Amino acid sequence: MNTATTAPSSLAHHGIIEWLTSTDHKHVGILYMCTAIFYFLVAGLLALVIRAQLSQPEMTLVGPHQYAQIFTLHGTAMIFLFVVPFALGLANFLIPLQIGAPDMAFPRLNAFTYWLFFFAGLTIFSGVFVNGGAAATGWYAYAPLSEISVSTGGGQDLWIVGLLMSSISGILTAVNFITTIFLYRAPGMTMWRLPIFTWEMVATSLLILMAFPSLAAVLAMLFIDRHFGGQFFDATAGGNPVLYQHLFWFFGHPEVYIMILPFFGVISEIIPVFSRKPIFGYTGLVLSAFAIAGLSMGVWAHHMFTTGVVTNAFFAAVSFLIAVPTGVKFFNWVGTMWRGSIVFTTPMIFAIGFMLNFLIGGISGVMIASPPIDFQAKDSYFLVSHFHYVLGGGSLFAIFGAIYFWFPKVFGKMLSERLGKWCFWLLFIGFNTTFFVMQFLGVMGMPRRIYTYPALPGWGNLNMVASIGSLIMAAGVLVFAWDVVTASLSRKHAPDDPWGGYSLEWWTTSPPPEYNFTSLPPIRSERPVFDAKHPELVRSGSS
Amino acid sequence: MRNTRPVLATSLLLSTTGCGVYALPAGATTQAQVLRQDWIVFTLAGLFVAVVVFGLILFPLFAWRRRSNDYPVQFSRNTKLELIYTIIPLLMVIALFAVTYRDEIIVEHLGAHPANTVDVLAFQWSWRFHYVGTAINIEGTPNAPPQLILPVDETTRINLTSSDVNHEFWVPAFLFKRDAIAGVKNSFDLRPIHIGVYLGRCAEFCGFDHALMTFTVRVVSQTDYVRWLRAGGSSIVPSAEGSTL
Repeated sequence: MNTATTAPSSLAHHGIIEWLTSTDHKHVGILYMCTAIFYFLVAGLLALVIRAQLSQPEMTLVGPHQYAQIFTLHGTAMIFLFVVPFALGLANFLIPLQIGAPDMAFPRLNAFTYWLFFFAGLTIFSGVFVNGGAAATGWYAYAPLSEISVSTGGGQDLWIVGLLMSSISGILTAVNFITTIFLYRAPGMTMWRLPIFTWEMVATSLLILMAFPSLAAVLAMLFIDRHFGGQFFDATAGGNPVLYQHLFWFFGHPEVYIMILPFFGVISEIIPVFSRKPIFGYTGLVLSAFAIAGLSMGVWAHHMFTTGVVTNAFFAAVSFLIAVPTGVKFFNWVGTMWRGSIVFTTPMIFAIGFMLNFLIGGISGVMIASPPIDFQAKDSYFLVSHFHYVLGGGSLFAIFGAIYFWFPKVFGKMLSERLGKWCFWLLFIGFNTTFFVMQFLGVMGMPRRIYTYPALPGWGNLNMVASIGSLIMAAGVLVFAWDVVTASLSRKHAPDDPWGGYSLEWWTTSPPPEYNFTSLPPIRSERPVFDAKHPELVRSGSS
Repeated sequence: MRNTRPVLATSLLLSTTGCGVYALPAGATTQAQVLRQDWIVFTLAGLFVAVVVFGLILFPLFAWRRRSNDYPVQFSRNTKLELIYTIIPLLMVIALFAVTYRDEIIVEHLGAHPANTVDVLAFQWSWRFHYVGTAINIEGTPNAPPQLILPVDETTRINLTSSDVNHEFWVPAFLFKRDAIAGVKNSFDLRPIHIGVYLGRCAEFCGFDHALMTFTVRVVSQTDYVRWLRAGGSSIVPSAEGSTL
């Protein structure tokens, strides 16, 4: 396969060998996203087991050892094998297209990062087959619990090695993104004309470069502790268990923003197109991404308010401040919709769902940034509710919005608007049914990560409600899967620009040809395609 | 009740964050009374922001849905407005920080002369309570959780640590938890205000029997407490008036 003779065939008709050896950023992006969706389905099934086990007091569907493996794999897979890789895959697909480039700066490095991630996932999950089972210490695997004296099995080691591979993959990807965006922009595509999604990926990549080395370091130290007598985290030998928490959360909190900034970008692409207006406050939106990224490097110890050994006031103050640039983004989106001409397509309603859900997660986030509240909320279902509103109600809804928005561009097929709306409403109702009640469970005193609970007043009822919600969500995912299958089998081709898109990916064919563009429109604003198609509406003096 | 404001605030909270059993516990220590104020302030602030921003998101959906093919006015900036929506949230979080800072200092204050001191040791998967200055040691197992006896209206200092992995001492009715970490001694004061029995548990995942690492706190009258101490911790305390919360 040397040349793309006709554009639509270039993606669809590649054989398996081409897929496995391709360095085309679009292939790499699709591989990333499909693998990520696979792990989403696996981790989602694990979540259904969790909800089944917790649906009533004293359930015995799974035992404590199995339960610990299930929630560890659920969290690890959702974070490291689904949300982050999906964002990286989407960025892989979109960045060269949005900046008018033929490919990434380092295509072979790009393919390498995918395969590193691919084997990272297999390594983590292969723990299921070893003696002692998979890792069972939660997604942050606190030492000393994860030390060899307590967690003797090989599953913990496979988890460490897998995450190390994934962190190296992420670092290399970030280098590739930044190089590509800084050096490979088409003529006229100045930094201040970059689409917001690409801007958010600049901020995300910088965060990856600052945060992932800390993850790699703490994993290496844990491995040394486990096998070479390191004693980094062994208090009896002069080590310090709190050091593990510092190093982990120095990565772990920026990680939260690595999982949300790309999706702020997605939402900032979808809302303007379907409000039929430019994004409101472009400059402020870009600056807010960097404000969030910068502040997020200084909040890690808000995960450690109850350790008694950190300066809570400082970390609370910086955590509160993050609410300001995040609020700015909300006002940007509202300003974009204001006096617009709003079209309720499936991507748009997912974007609206994202805003509503993420707002709840944001508000509970400001609450738990206050140490006196965190003293009750930490490690309770209030916290579980909070981060699921951010990652599930936020990132996951943006991912579905992104899929419905860019599916025609990626595969040249349209997903069904009717099924898309069914998918949205089932997910939205199911999600809120599951996670809203968890806030009450948390303040009532239910801790996370317990495999069973006694029949305390109200606990069984709320848990049952949450479990029913998880089934509604599962139905939404099934509708989505059906939509993807029927769209893929359909013979109908998607138009090149089904939505009236703004950024350069809508200028080329669906799917794009091998080197992306045969021509480019003049780039005089952050929405060159709109300018080219509606010259009568071009704003005078716009940047 | 010493004044009516907590009552008013409590009823507000009940109507907003839950009712009956589906709500934040009332707060059974003097420290918890302060913590509860923080919850109420933040819940009300959160509800206010939720109403305003939900309104701002939903209003355009009804007001400006597409009615024709014509594009609306393509405006994209308003510097004054952008400054306003940056500064107002900034002022709000500064105010919230002030509340937080004031309340945390009160809650974490360690009295100079606590009436009693208990060393709490967490281990996989139970607790040991040692009453400092006595020979009383209460140690539990996952299937026989220990009971921590505390006198009402008296300050008890808790010194908390772990002998193995990280654990976390949590009494939901006290609205408070603190980590138990090997090599770290964490101290805090508790001053219960109601006689009763409260559930406590480990909140940090600590291995397979984490779910069973519970304990109870029994708050008794000061005379009962002294009698219990004199008997070396072995006498049976008269059944508490309160129920398990």
